[in-house]
Amino acid sequence: MAVFQAALVNEIEKLYKKKKALVAVLLSLAVIVLGQLVIVGVRSGFGLRGAGSLEFPMLVLSVVVNTVLPLFTALVAIDSFSGEFSHNSMRITLTRPVSRFKIYTAKITAIVIFILATLLLLLVFSMLVGFIFNTNSATLDSIVRTLFSYIVSLFPMIVLALGIVLLANLFKSGISVFFVSILIFIVLKVLGVVFSQYSSLFMTTQLDWYNLFLVNSFPLGKIVRQFLIMLGSGIMLFTAGLYLFDKKEF
Amino acid sequence: MKVKKKTAMLVSFTLGTLLLATTALADIATKSGYDQLKDALKVTAEQSSEKFDSFTMDLSIAMKDNGKTLMTENEIRKYNRSMSATESLSSGEDLTRGKHNSQVYLDKTTMIRVSDSDPTYYVTEFTKERKEETFSNPFKENRAEDIEKIADAVVGSLKDHVVVTENPDGSKGLAGSLTEVQIPSLVNAVASFQMKQEFDGRQDNLPHLTKDVFVKEVKGTAKVNKDGVLESILGTAQLSGIDDQGTVHEVTIEVLGKLSGINSTTVTKPDLSGKTVIKNIANSDNSSSEITSPEKFVGKFKNDILIEKNNKFVKVGERFIEISQIDNETVTGRYYEVFKPGYEEYTTPNRDFAINAKRANEKNSSDYEYTTSSGIKGNLFFDQYAGKIFLNGRTPSLGSLIFDSTFNPDVE
Repeated sequence: MAVFQAALVNEIEKLYKKKKALVAVLLSLAVIVLGQLVIVGVRSGFGLRGAGSLEFPMLVLSVVVNTVLPLFTALVAIDSFSGEFSHNSMRITLTRPVSRFKIYTAKITAIVIFILATLLLLLVFSMLVGFIFNTNSATLDSIVRTLFSYIVSLFPMIVLALGIVLLANLFKSGISVFFVSILIFIVLKVLGVVFSQYSSLFMTTQLDWYNLFLVNSFPLGKIVRQFLIMLGSGIMLFTAGLYLFDKKEF
Repeated sequence: MKVKKKTAMLVSFTLGTLLLATTALADIATKSGYDQLKDALKVTAEQSSEKFDSFTMDLSIAMKDNGKTLMTENEIRKYNRSMSATESLSSGEDLTRGKHNSQVYLDKTTMIRVSDSDPTYYVTEFTKERKEETFSNPFKENRAEDIEKIADAVVGSLKDHVVVTENPDGSKGLAGSLTEVQIPSLVNAVASFQMKQEFDGRQDNLPHLTKDVFVKEVKGTAKVNKDGVLESILGTAQLSGIDDQGTVHEVTIEVLGKLSGINSTTVTKPDLSGKTVIKNIANSDNSSSEITSPEKFVGKFKNDILIEKNNKFVKVGERFIEISQIDNETVTGRYYEVFKPGYEEYTTPNRDFAINAKRANEKNSSDYEYTTSSGIKGNLFFDQYAGKIFLNGRTPSLGSLIFDSTFNPDVE
């Protein structure tokens, strides 16, 4: 465990030192500012409320989980794998007395921590902005639901990250991984609209699964099914990625 | 060790695949409440247009502002498919117009209208039997499938908000509610913008909402009977906003639809004995532009030739069209102008010609086209409802004369 911890700290530090994580955070905050400006514009221009204090974090979440967050998850994941493959710095990591499984897991954990940190940061800031600038519409119930929505959004993001990690181990260059990921993302989005009855199977639709936690009746069956689908695909992607990573020669 | 690692990987991969496959299948097999509602709507529309001999549809709308009723509308429609007859009774009340109600009866050959503001029965008798269906299935229309796809995409993640309760007798209850947080901001903004247009202060009985308009809540319940037919559906939407005086308004709109009396509804033709009746005969085929009994246009039609002089209209003569023969294919007649003594200077050449017009070839066109001996083309249109002839000719410059293309019958 101590070995794994060391590897994880190592990975987090690498992530932290890179500019990408910082850019991701700044861009997320920019979404909040821009979103609030749009709301203010709608309010004074059209006389609509736009969003109340708690609808605002939800609005931010719905925008971020479909744009900024997947994009930067992809960038960070690609950087952590393809980047190190091409810079040959992976060799340095692998010369340590740590098994490949542990390195692989440490890298993924670091990515998960990055996603979680971004989500929490977004939650705090969007709530703050929401409360300062918008009409108060909060109830305890809606606060709890908002918190939940942000936290559960982590799961589909992890699946997404695992998918990108698999691609990063499959293709050599980081750029091709990036474009293939974006292409798959768009294709899945379109498929989700065209075959809406099967849309719950697509990774991109699961990005919006936090909506299930907003339903009054709490559709437990649906939540469990969605979670198991994500778990299943997560295990598959993780194992496939690990297999490739384990076999890779540097 | 090496073997163990491989097995572990294989096992976990298989486990993941199995987990994914089974839940995916289970998920596709489970129909969301939204899908069940859609199915019920489809079944209802299909049965109503193909299977049920008769049924009654009842639709009510009520709008309230802070609990005060602004408007109610109710419409009861009785359908009898085997007789192709429908009867609809509508009534309503609003703050400006007060109460009102009206009745319309329609079958293959007659249409009868009456309302409480005018106790006269207006009867329209169709010369041909109407072929329209009593109730057409909206899901069979051309664009229905596309609209359904769009609706599915818009509803998207809201599908799961519909909760289904199954009753022991096989009937189902559907319910759903959305509050502010659950309605996607974009949907809320578009919907409230639409509603704000309604409450723009132009209608004096509605509050004028200017600020902070948003959809507060949307609720709905529906009942589906054991045959999958939707028996009733109730929807409530609550809109909140502030008017120019700063008062907060909560506008509630309730819509209730009911389907009842399946195969037991009777449509009765209103009893016209002893009532004031105004009869009128119409061609049921609306697309046809044929003139019924065209002979009525035989005769003289005229209008005044006017000029503008010293800021006044002065009559200088009359234009005439004389129709000597007309049927639904050809028209013969003559056009000429007669000027009053002292105004002969206004006479223009080529303003006296024989008309030998033919019905235009294009479908749905009711114009008769003619060419005069001097080569000027024009067309005539007979308006049988207004009893007028319209003449459109490419005429040479008229100078100060005012041209009028409408000709009224010269009946004196």
